[in-house]
Amino acid sequence: MKKEFPLTNIIRHTLIVFFMLTILLPLAWVLLLSIKSMPDSMRGNLWPRKFDFNHYAYVFEKIDTLPQNLFNSIYVTSATVLITSVCAVLAGYAIVHLKPKGSLFLVTVLVLSLYFPTRVVSIISIYEIQDYLSLINSTNGLILPYITLNLAVSVLIMRSIFQLIPGELIDSARMDGAGPWKTLWLIGIPLAKNGLVVIIIVNFVTAWGEYLLAATLTNDQAVRTMPVVLASAQGGMGQWAWPRIAAVYVIVVLPGIIAFAMAQKLFFKGLMEGALKT
Amino acid sequence: MKDLLRVTLLWLPIRGETAKVTTGNPAIHGPIRKSWLVEHNNWVFLLPTVLFFVWYQVYPIVRVVWISFTDYKYLTNDPANWVGFDNYAEALSDPLMWDSLGRAAYFTAMFLPGTIIIPLLLAVLIHGVQNQRLATVYRVILLIPAVIPSTLVFVLWKWMYNYQIGPINHFLVEVTGWFTYRNAPQWLGGTDLTLPSVAIMEVWWGLGYHSVFFLAGLAAIPKDLPEAARIDGANEWQVFRHIILPRLQPIMLILVILRFGTSMGVIDEYLIFGGFNRESPTYTWTIFMYDQAFKTGLWRQGLAAAIGMVGSLVMMAFVSWLIYIFRSRD
Repeated sequence: MKKEFPLTNIIRHTLIVFFMLTILLPLAWVLLLSIKSMPDSMRGNLWPRKFDFNHYAYVFEKIDTLPQNLFNSIYVTSATVLITSVCAVLAGYAIVHLKPKGSLFLVTVLVLSLYFPTRVVSIISIYEIQDYLSLINSTNGLILPYITLNLAVSVLIMRSIFQLIPGELIDSARMDGAGPWKTLWLIGIPLAKNGLVVIIIVNFVTAWGEYLLAATLTNDQAVRTMPVVLASAQGGMGQWAWPRIAAVYVIVVLPGIIAFAMAQKLFFKGLMEGALKT
Repeated sequence: MKDLLRVTLLWLPIRGETAKVTTGNPAIHGPIRKSWLVEHNNWVFLLPTVLFFVWYQVYPIVRVVWISFTDYKYLTNDPANWVGFDNYAEALSDPLMWDSLGRAAYFTAMFLPGTIIIPLLLAVLIHGVQNQRLATVYRVILLIPAVIPSTLVFVLWKWMYNYQIGPINHFLVEVTGWFTYRNAPQWLGGTDLTLPSVAIMEVWWGLGYHSVFFLAGLAAIPKDLPEAARIDGANEWQVFRHIILPRLQPIMLILVILRFGTSMGVIDEYLIFGGFNRESPTYTWTIFMYDQAFKTGLWRQGLAAAIGMVGSLVMMAFVSWLIYIFRSRD
């Protein structure tokens, strides 16, 4: 391999490090803000003179709706991720390996829905549907529209993942007498697990941070999810003093980053196999 | 229509080797597929997806189209009356309709180049990194913003731009001394800087994810191609312009189309940063629609639906046009 000219290399790494810092600094700032003492939080220095780690305990004890909001978020997100993943795995598998009539039509409609601002426009009638079903101001009610937020993308990702599994493999399992369900469970899912990681993360990120539907379809603080609470909180004094609100922020943002860090290898493989296929 | 599908199929491989592999043995599939029972058993797999998709995506859009031709209101018990194109006429004659579309377009014009060119540059830089361990670290950092949920990105940047505690103004006033607190820029809150500020935030958010996109494309280019060009005396720029760039064009096309759609249809950010001041640059067609549907005392869903449809149709027209110009160059 050709040895690189050192100067080019230095410039290259300086530029890359600059971009990496641009990505990391805002996150480092909010993390540090959450452990600053009160007076330090009002001075803008990045590194505090005095640390104060009590904000985390404080927000759980003093903000009464916080545990409830956190629970709402966890509940809605888990249900959404579970249901969407099951739908996407079943549909992706069927479209590629069972090919029932109409699956090409379904794929076409799913793709077209990606080009239309469905999420924005449909809010008008989703409010009406939820009202009709008495699901306005209900945490449970959020799960239903959430499932469809990424359903099309998830099905299409699972479809490209299942396309990588040779049809012969599926066929030989069926020759041995396994039905389509057993084949999916024993052959399909183990081979599609990278893609599954991708759609779980994608759906987690969407549901965990969803704002538009949650803000429109709920009114009471106690039924709301964390993003709505954080977006409407005005930083300032008392229980919403800056380091405290930053502590809430870190509590909410951390699960996603930790989950990603743990599944990082599988996530990359899955991205390369399915989502980034060109 | 056909073009749209073909473009999408670039992204979602249906052709070529992957499609061939999946074509099963006809000896097994043939006779089985004829059975009525098996055919319907197979449909069971699609049922949950179809059910949810029709319930919360297809039906709502059909319903919005219907509402846009009526004087429907949630709040009254009177049945909705068919009013023909009245709502559309009202929306189209309101200068706010065109202003709000223009604001969305202005935002897109700032956001789109940044979110394509900067990640492309970064991907080319990272692609040249020879130390594999370092390259992995870079890739992991790149994807961190992609796993931060949307609202949390907006909240974080709302604080970053904050007048009192925001580190951006702190840097401009106390570190560099370029401004004083009296004349430090007010980033959000409906000033002229608001849309550029939102665009910077969005570029930051997509920076890593789009770079990973381009990195995947760069990894697919055979190594000997640029090498051969260099031996023939091409300089780095020529290699990039004539060897690398054409091979990244499909990825660029997909990103341009996807991000054009998201940036024209931005709504959450404007709800969080802007509110409902009609003069604010964040009052785009999406907010106009939302305002009419939910916030104004009238709750005029009919007009809101018409605004939403006009906005969507203008957007779709631009998407088709984009696909058309990218197609004709191939």
